[in-house]
Amino acid sequence: MVARSTMRKLLNHQTSSAPLAVFRVLFGFIMAVSVLRFALKGWIAEMYINPAFYFTFSGFDWVAPLGPAGMYALFVLMGLSAVGIMLGWHYRPAVMLFFLSFTYVELIDKANYLNHYYFVSIIAFLLIWVPANRRFSLDALRRPEIAAETVPAWTIDIFKLQLGLVYFFAGLAKLHPEWLLEAMPLKLWLPAHADLPIVGAFLTEPAAAYLFSWAGALYDLTIVFFLLWNRTWPAAYAAVVVFHLTTAVLFPIGMFPWIMVLATLVFFPPAFHERVIDLATRLWRGAVKAPRTVTGAAAASSPAAWRPGRRASLALTGLLGVFFTLQILVPLRAFTYSGDLFWSERGYRFSWRVMLMEKAGSTLFHVRDSQSGREWQVAAWEYLTPNQEKMMSTQPDMILQFAHFLEEQYVGQGLADVEVRAESYVTLNGRRSRLMIDPDIDLTQVSRIPGHRYWVLPFDDTTGSWISRQ
Amino acid sequence: MLCLPGRIVITVLVVSLALVGPGCDSGSSGGGDDVDDFDRAAMLENLADNVIVPAYADARSSVEALEAAIAAFESDPTIAGLAGVRSALKTARIAWQRVNMFQFGPAESTALKASVNTYPVDTARIESNIDSGSWTLGTIDNRAAAGFPAIGYLVHPIETADEDVVAAFTSGTHASDRMAYLVDNAAFVRGAIESTADAWTPGAGGAFRSEFLSASNSGTDVGSSLGMLANALVLHIERFLRDGKIGIPAGVRSAGVPRPTSTEAFYGGYSTELAIANTFALKRTVFGTSTAGTPGPGLDDHLEALGAGELSDEIKSAFDEAIAALEELDDPLSTQIASDVDPVLTTFTELQDVVVLLKADMTSILGVTITFQDNDGD
Repeated sequence: MVARSTMRKLLNHQTSSAPLAVFRVLFGFIMAVSVLRFALKGWIAEMYINPAFYFTFSGFDWVAPLGPAGMYALFVLMGLSAVGIMLGWHYRPAVMLFFLSFTYVELIDKANYLNHYYFVSIIAFLLIWVPANRRFSLDALRRPEIAAETVPAWTIDIFKLQLGLVYFFAGLAKLHPEWLLEAMPLKLWLPAHADLPIVGAFLTEPAAAYLFSWAGALYDLTIVFFLLWNRTWPAAYAAVVVFHLTTAVLFPIGMFPWIMVLATLVFFPPAFHERVIDLATRLWRGAVKAPRTVTGAAAASSPAAWRPGRRASLALTGLLGVFFTLQILVPLRAFTYSGDLFWSERGYRFSWRVMLMEKAGSTLFHVRDSQSGREWQVAAWEYLTPNQEKMMSTQPDMILQFAHFLEEQYVGQGLADVEVRAESYVTLNGRRSRLMIDPDIDLTQVSRIPGHRYWVLPFDDTTGSWISRQ
Repeated sequence: MLCLPGRIVITVLVVSLALVGPGCDSGSSGGGDDVDDFDRAAMLENLADNVIVPAYADARSSVEALEAAIAAFESDPTIAGLAGVRSALKTARIAWQRVNMFQFGPAESTALKASVNTYPVDTARIESNIDSGSWTLGTIDNRAAAGFPAIGYLVHPIETADEDVVAAFTSGTHASDRMAYLVDNAAFVRGAIESTADAWTPGAGGAFRSEFLSASNSGTDVGSSLGMLANALVLHIERFLRDGKIGIPAGVRSAGVPRPTSTEAFYGGYSTELAIANTFALKRTVFGTSTAGTPGPGLDDHLEALGAGELSDEIKSAFDEAIAALEELDDPLSTQIASDVDPVLTTFTELQDVVVLLKADMTSILGVTITFQDNDGD
């Protein structure tokens, strides 16, 4: 009984709807910018129209590109729905459309997997279930009856929880001997920026790699607690800005820093967001010289608080309970697999392991026609984009997928039975490159179904490193 | 709440200073022990001024000489004139091996490599161009019917006596068109190489050298000078040396069935010599050695400064082993492939070792980015 009433209190506790509204506007804005940037860089064609082959995700093999017209249409839809989210215009359909279109595109090709795309999909998914359009939105302007001054606190707290999980798991992943004791991979990455003004010379020092490694781990593990604490959040946010701007300068990670800098504003107290909305509203009125009527009338005639009905509450509790349980379990799945995580990359994706290792490879495929006994070699560049080739060269599951694709190609050409073997050299964190896939195993005989990865050679740390590891 | 933005700005400044501060100190108090201060700008300058620009100057004068030899042959079509053309062609094709890997900047924007050296040559297309009496060189349709390989086909027809070769240019149907096709190709190749060479030459109004050496391109991202150079070298060695010159003629792309006619200088019969020249030139570029053999700062020194001296030693021996394997091959390479393909496949494997070391190990240590796309750093 006590538990139930605590639960109810937790679900019913109301707070200002301003933080949620501002979060919605900023998310819609940065997504619209991201979609536009993606299109302007020509990446729609480069990643989803031109390639001859796509590395699909297990279970999502049916997700395929829609052809040139279809892909451009899908991105237009994605961009418009992001604008819809920002304006709070037909919000619910807009955010559902955005979630579906964005996630569909991300599922087309593993080679394009980025943790921050996964993060965007998650945030869009969570936004479907919250009343983010009941304040500071065209929906509330058109239909004043839906406007709400307050919303249940959980509708905002789930975003804080999600951000907290992202940072915390990213921090946990850094508690790795290579990261902490050898300052890898930053020891390789920072000297590449020796040409930067002022800090350049320092970046070539091993001390810089250690400083950045430890500071990064500490930041990821603790930042969410400092953001939550009402005495430290301003300084914590300053750290967020400095951290993400530093990564933006040093690494080619695209929109991620800007997304995080905006998303973490959700930790600010409601008063801040009230002021933002107030200011934006006054600026807007000044700009269009509109009389001060609409929001005033809306606020007067609308219920002050929005809360879901009992059934909806129950359903949402179940849904979010399952969702966050998965959010905790999925990143931990790697610990149930044998073998070195960095080497095999089993359980590496969807785990917030970012900027964690320097890995590069070079793969040559040996094909043998078992009927004629002839052997020949295939270089992946003939079929893959540079990015696909780069991604495949270090990830065993993608090498296997490509080997199966080659088999199909030759079967299509009339060869009844070909064998495909991979000669795959990989360097990890500055180590001497060595074979990652057993070169004697015919990959056409290996199933994609998860199982013992006997075809991946075990990680062997005795081959030595090109550079000093201490 | 009023002073909130101010507080944030000040905190950002303080934290930034805290992060940047040690940088200023260490920077001014001298370099560290583990990583030497390496002057990347000096390396790029050496590569530009002592490797790339002189190689383009050589390529330019050699194609000018080729054009002159063809003009002399046109005005006086004799067997001696033909010999002059053949020798000028070979010189130019060898000079080309010292610039063909710099496929970035002006060479990339004009698709220089595809324009002047697409092979195997499309002989049917050449003959139909000549028969029709009109052609436009430089179009995509005519790529396999233009440039060095086309000239090679015209002046080295298979199993034709020299007097008959000369006769094809002087008497018989389409003889004047055949001569015009030869002359046009010489002018086309000379023009294409000249414009890229000009773009690299400071005196000739070339802006690319200064762009290559500018501070804004001194990083390691994909558009930086080191990024362009490293990516171009890796791509060239893999696709155009290992595969194009050796692997494809040996049959690695045709289900193991050799294609001896796909060699680079099939008609001239000196494909092995071209491959050796190219491999030497690639090695010199990686090691910053000038065409004259003078050592200078190169990627090897960069690796050494980053603590990976062993890697540059290994790259050196991989190059040497590849060159030794190439030197085992006889010219014409097509004959070698037809008689005994095994040493050719051995060469492929040796070149593959170079590819792995440059593509995986070297780019990883140098921190060179290979694509424009966003990444997670993994």
